[in-house]
Amino acid sequence: MLTPITGGLQQTTDYRAVLPFYIYASVSFLVATALLLLHTDIVASHYFNPYTLSITHIMALGWGTMIIFGASHQLLPVLAEGRLYSTWLAYLTFAFTGTGIPALITGFYIFHTGSILQTGALLINAGVIFYLINVFRSTFKSKTRNVHAWYIITATAWLFSTTFFGLLLVYNFNAKILPADSVSYLSIHAHLGLAGWFLLMVTGVGSRLIPMFLISKYTNEKILWRIFILINAGLISFIILKVIGVSAIFFYIPVALVLSAIILFGRYCREAYKVRIRKNVDEQMKTSLLSVIQMLLPFVALIITLAFLPAEGYPHITLLYGFCIFFGWITAIIFGMTFKTLPFIVWNKVYHKKAHAGKTPAPKELFSEKVYHAMLITYLTGFIAFIPGIIFLNSFFLKLGAAALLAAAVLYVFNISKTLLHQPKKP
Amino acid sequence: MSVNIVTNNSGKCHLALEGLYDVYDPEIGLNVVDLGLIYQLDFDEDEKKLDATMTLTTQFCPMGESITSDVTRSLSGSFPEWQINVNLTFDPPWDYTRISPEGNQFLGR
Repeated sequence: MLTPITGGLQQTTDYRAVLPFYIYASVSFLVATALLLLHTDIVASHYFNPYTLSITHIMALGWGTMIIFGASHQLLPVLAEGRLYSTWLAYLTFAFTGTGIPALITGFYIFHTGSILQTGALLINAGVIFYLINVFRSTFKSKTRNVHAWYIITATAWLFSTTFFGLLLVYNFNAKILPADSVSYLSIHAHLGLAGWFLLMVTGVGSRLIPMFLISKYTNEKILWRIFILINAGLISFIILKVIGVSAIFFYIPVALVLSAIILFGRYCREAYKVRIRKNVDEQMKTSLLSVIQMLLPFVALIITLAFLPAEGYPHITLLYGFCIFFGWITAIIFGMTFKTLPFIVWNKVYHKKAHAGKTPAPKELFSEKVYHAMLITYLTGFIAFIPGIIFLNSFFLKLGAAALLAAAVLYVFNISKTLLHQPKKP
Repeated sequence: MSVNIVTNNSGKCHLALEGLYDVYDPEIGLNVVDLGLIYQLDFDEDEKKLDATMTLTTQFCPMGESITSDVTRSLSGSFPEWQINVNLTFDPPWDYTRISPEGNQFLGR
C-alpha cells in the first residue's frame, strides 16, 4: 500500500545561511597555514605562546568550528530529521562568531590579555549561544530524536562548555576568578573542545553521512550509542582526574575509553564500506575515510608522552598531538566533506529551478577534480613532512611541511572559489 | 529494461519512462527509474490525468525538491495535454533492492 505524504518535502536550509561559513573557514585555513610557515620555530617552545595559541584557535574556531557550523545548518534536516529552526539565528551565529574570532586571534597574537581578547571571547560565546538555541530548537521540535540528533545536541552543549570555560580563562589572566592560573586549565579547555565538540560531532555526523554517500545499507544504533557513551565517559573522567590531580598513570583511563570509541567508529565505517552499493568510491570519500585512520595518530603521540616522556621536557610531543588532530584528522575530514556538501549546496542554488530545462552539470563538476587531487597530494606531503620536523626539531622538514600545507590551502581556496562562482552555461 | 513499476497502461508507461530516464539523482548520478524511485504510474485516459507515485532515497534528501520538480517537468513534457500529479511517499521506504540490474551495473556492483 502506497501512502502519499501530506506535509510536502522537507525544505533545505537557505544557502545564504550556509555559504558564508564555508568561505570564512577556507580563508581561516589559509591564514593558519601561512602563520604556521612564518612561525615554524614555535615547535621548539612551550605550547603556551602567542603564535601557537593563535594558530590553534584559528584552526579550532575559524577552520573546524566555522565549517561545522555551516555544514550542520545545511545538514540538520538530514541528521536530525527536522528542519532548521531559524535562518536568522544562523546569520547571528555567523556575525558574532565571525567577528569574535579575529579579535580573539589578534589578542593572542599580540598577547594583549585585556579588552581585545575579552571582546573576542564574549562575541564567540554569543555566537555559540545562538547556534546552541538553533540546534536545540531544531532537534527538540521533532517528536523523536535519533542517535545522530543526540550526538549533535551533546556536542553543541560541550562546545558551549568549551567557549564559556575559555571566556573564564581569558578573564582569569587579569583577575583571579579561578583557583589557579589559566595555563593550568588549558588541557581541560582543549579536551572539552577536542573530544566533546569535534570528536562527538564528527562521529555523529560521519556515522550518518559516510554510509549515505557510500550508499551503504549498514546501520548499527547499538554501536553508535556505545561510541557516544565511551566518548562522554572518557571526557568526564579526564576532567575529574584533572580536577582532583592524580598521577599520570590514571590518565590511561580516559585515553582507553576514547581510543575504544575511535576503534569502534573505525569498525562502523569499515562495515559500512564493506556493504556499500556504490563500488566506485570517489576521492572525497577516500579522504574522509583516511581521516578516520588519522584519528589514531594523536593517540600514538599521547601514549608516547604518557608512557615514556616527562611532558615538561618534551613540549614538542604535546605539539605533535595537537598537530595530528588539527592538521591531520580534522583537516582531512573537512577536505573530504567540503567537496561532498558544498557542490550540492551551490548546485541547488544555481540549478534548482532549471534542472530539467536542459543538460545540467553534475554537482561534482562544479569543482576541479584535478585540483582536488593535487591538493590532497600536497596536503599529505605537508602533513607527513611536518611530523619528523616536530619530533627531531628539524627546520628543513618543518619549513617543507608548512609550505606544502600552505600550498594545499591555496588549492583548497581555489576550488572553493571555483565552486562558489559557478555560473550555468548560456544556451 | 528491468524496472519494478506498477502501472495500468504499459504503452504510456514506456513513453513516460523515456523521459524519466533523463532525470537524475545528482548525488548518485543514476536516473530515477534505474534507482527505483518511481513506484507507480496511473493513467486516467478519460480525465487525461497521470498520477505518479515516487519516493526518495531518504525523506530528508537535500536534493528532494529538485528531483521531484524534475520528475513533474519530465512527465509534463511527455504528456503535454495531461494533468500531472506527483505524489511522494515513504511507505514503503526506498531500499537498495529497488535498484535495477542496469543501475547496479552503473554503481559497479
